[in-house]
Amino acid sequence: MTSSKTADYFAIFALPRKLWIEMSALEQKFLQLSWKLHPDNFVNAPEQERELSLKRSSELNDAYRTLRDPVARVEYLLGIEGARKEGEHKQQALPELLEEVFELNESLDELRDTRASGGDLAALKLRLESAERNFQEKLGEVDTELQSAAREWDAALDGETAMRNKIKARLNELLNRRSYIRNLVTNVQKELF
Amino acid sequence: MGRIVGIDLGTTNSLVAYTDSQTGQPKCISGPYGDTLCPSVVSLDPDGSIIVGEAARRRLLTQPERTIYSVKRLMGRGPADVQGELKLFPFRIDPTSKNVIRVMLGDKIFTPPEISAFILRELKNWAEAFFGETVDRAVITVPAYFDDAQRQATKDAGKIAGLEVLRLVNEPTAAALAYGLHEKQRGKVAVYDLGGGTFDISVLKLISTSDGDIYQVLSTNGDTHLGGDDIDNLLQAFVHELIVQHDEFDFPPHGELVQELRKALIDVKHQLSNTETATLRFKLPSGSVIIHEFTRGALEKLIRPIMDRTMGPVKQALADAQLKPTDIDEVVLVGGTTRTPLIRRTVQEFFDRKPHTELNPDEVVALGAAVQANILDRGVKNMLLLDVTPLSLGIETYGGAVAKIIPRNSTIPASAQELYTTGVDNQTGIDVHVLQGERELAKDCRSLARFTLRVPPAPAGLPRIEVKFLIDANGILQVAAKDLRTGEGHSIEVQPSYGINDSEIERMLEESIEYAEQDFAERQLIEARTESESILAATAKALANPQVAALSAEEGAKIATGVAALKDATAGSDYKLIRKRTDELNHATEHLAELLMNSAVSTALEGRKLAEV
Repeated sequence: MTSSKTADYFAIFALPRKLWIEMSALEQKFLQLSWKLHPDNFVNAPEQERELSLKRSSELNDAYRTLRDPVARVEYLLGIEGARKEGEHKQQALPELLEEVFELNESLDELRDTRASGGDLAALKLRLESAERNFQEKLGEVDTELQSAAREWDAALDGETAMRNKIKARLNELLNRRSYIRNLVTNVQKELF
Repeated sequence: MGRIVGIDLGTTNSLVAYTDSQTGQPKCISGPYGDTLCPSVVSLDPDGSIIVGEAARRRLLTQPERTIYSVKRLMGRGPADVQGELKLFPFRIDPTSKNVIRVMLGDKIFTPPEISAFILRELKNWAEAFFGETVDRAVITVPAYFDDAQRQATKDAGKIAGLEVLRLVNEPTAAALAYGLHEKQRGKVAVYDLGGGTFDISVLKLISTSDGDIYQVLSTNGDTHLGGDDIDNLLQAFVHELIVQHDEFDFPPHGELVQELRKALIDVKHQLSNTETATLRFKLPSGSVIIHEFTRGALEKLIRPIMDRTMGPVKQALADAQLKPTDIDEVVLVGGTTRTPLIRRTVQEFFDRKPHTELNPDEVVALGAAVQANILDRGVKNMLLLDVTPLSLGIETYGGAVAKIIPRNSTIPASAQELYTTGVDNQTGIDVHVLQGERELAKDCRSLARFTLRVPPAPAGLPRIEVKFLIDANGILQVAAKDLRTGEGHSIEVQPSYGINDSEIERMLEESIEYAEQDFAERQLIEARTESESILAATAKALANPQVAALSAEEGAKIATGVAALKDATAGSDYKLIRKRTDELNHATEHLAELLMNSAVSTALEGRKLAEV
């Protein structure tokens, strides 16, 4: 590997740092660049070129994988905009959800205990399923908010720095919230199945 | 530079193929017996030479202690991984094996890549005899669900066999390439590949662009320990039970008897793909004979659990590609085990679509490998293959958890960067453990490698080492580190958990050349001359017989010409010509041979060659 300096994923696709991306155009560009960069084209080339093809095509694939996924895209954007540092996205509990999370954890404990003692799980499962629906709904709400913040970002692309920083902070907060709720849903699903 | 070939290194059979430069079509190359399938069996002769293929397969019955089959199941595995299999396979593992399994053939010890290399070398010989040129580069296929260690072991095998492995291609992807060329399919394709020892399912999207056709793998899943071998094991267990009841005979788990029974059962299994019933007749050492009639229904009942085990990966692959069964435009069946009617039926029902079976399921993977070999060699620019990594790559974090850094089904090459620093003052090493798999805890994933980043003593958090993990186009991991404070590359020594290191490979390569039989063409020439001399001698002897008088003048002249032509050819060194002339003389002397036979036996021996009389 020649250099670990990684190109900006938006730049690889010649895109502005906007959060709305037209998917079919992204795919077309991805396939077009794959033709050029893929290591298959460089099997008989000198080692330096082979290494470069490996580096460039892996970056292309990393970029496509990231930009294709709306959440990963926001996360990446905030990273290169310096608004989200690696390792910082530790999940912080959300005060407004405290009560519901407390209840959820109790139900989960109860489910495990009942399962261990071989008791009847039906009622508990119903309660957890309704909790799962509740959190899924909240996840949907966060996603809607993320979309609207993303539109604000795109509109403010050439706007004032203060404004842009405010949107970045908002996106960051929404991502943390999403990741926290997402985790709750996963935990419930793991116990239910 | 020599020729390039595509090789399907299979659990049961291996094949070698090339792309015809005139027609652009891939073709399998036949071995000396005219068969394209080379049984993946290796035997160590008591005289120290290595025997591969059909001849080795026959030795499974006579010299099971010196013969090994299904070695693919051991590739990239540690001794602990295969404990379960050893109960059913007569492999003898060197008890001192550590991270790499070592198998004993007679009193010699080999690693699985060395044994696979013998098979590759045999195929290389077939191809060299066919081309009359050296073959030094190959595309080798692997199960799509092979992990890093299994892929590395396959690449090592290529190196040991003296081949530059230009690319490892996933078997279902290779099959899709072969079919794509054949059928000109477009749209979403599911490839269901059930071979001798492995199961793969891949979902691809075939895209026509102005640059050419793109084969984009969307998702892949599978089980590297599921295949026809498992059906054979079930049949064997079933019959063992039968024998115990019938004869109160304690069946030995190893040795010739098991191999004989296994062969008989495989025949029954193959028959039942075409007929409704098949009978097993098996003679026990006690003299009593086990006779059991199998119906297709009974076999299907036995196979059902294996069939069911393939459906989990199928559903997961579809879910990962975000598709429903009805979204699939074409289904392709690959691997000998898909000849089983139950499997054809079930796959057809699941996708509600008649699967493609036009290409020989045994050959299609090798043909695809030849297509890819041609793409790489000649830089064919109208076709591109975009494959994925089957398993998520992760690193161990606090408390034995795994952080996924490259998710499964990422298009390869793919990479991820991780930043490492120290947690306490003057810490001089940071341990990194790389894993592959979908589970959350490191202990449940496959360990790929461990290494320690060495850092000079400094306050905690000051050192900043960036590690780049890169999965190349073969699906094999590369690791590089860089010190972000100095900007310089940071050397690391990665200890693979289940691999062999480079110096060992070098040594094995040297040994393998020593083991390699005489040059293939030379051996062919010796065999052809031996055969030619024997027919020349037999003809001379026959011509001295008074019966010759009954031959017509025309026949006599034909024989004389044939003898002269064969003598000429034998003086030269073209073994193909010698074979041809031998056949011609054999043909010319057919009547003579008949005349020489006692009339009582002549009807029974009709069609025999002169040399055999």
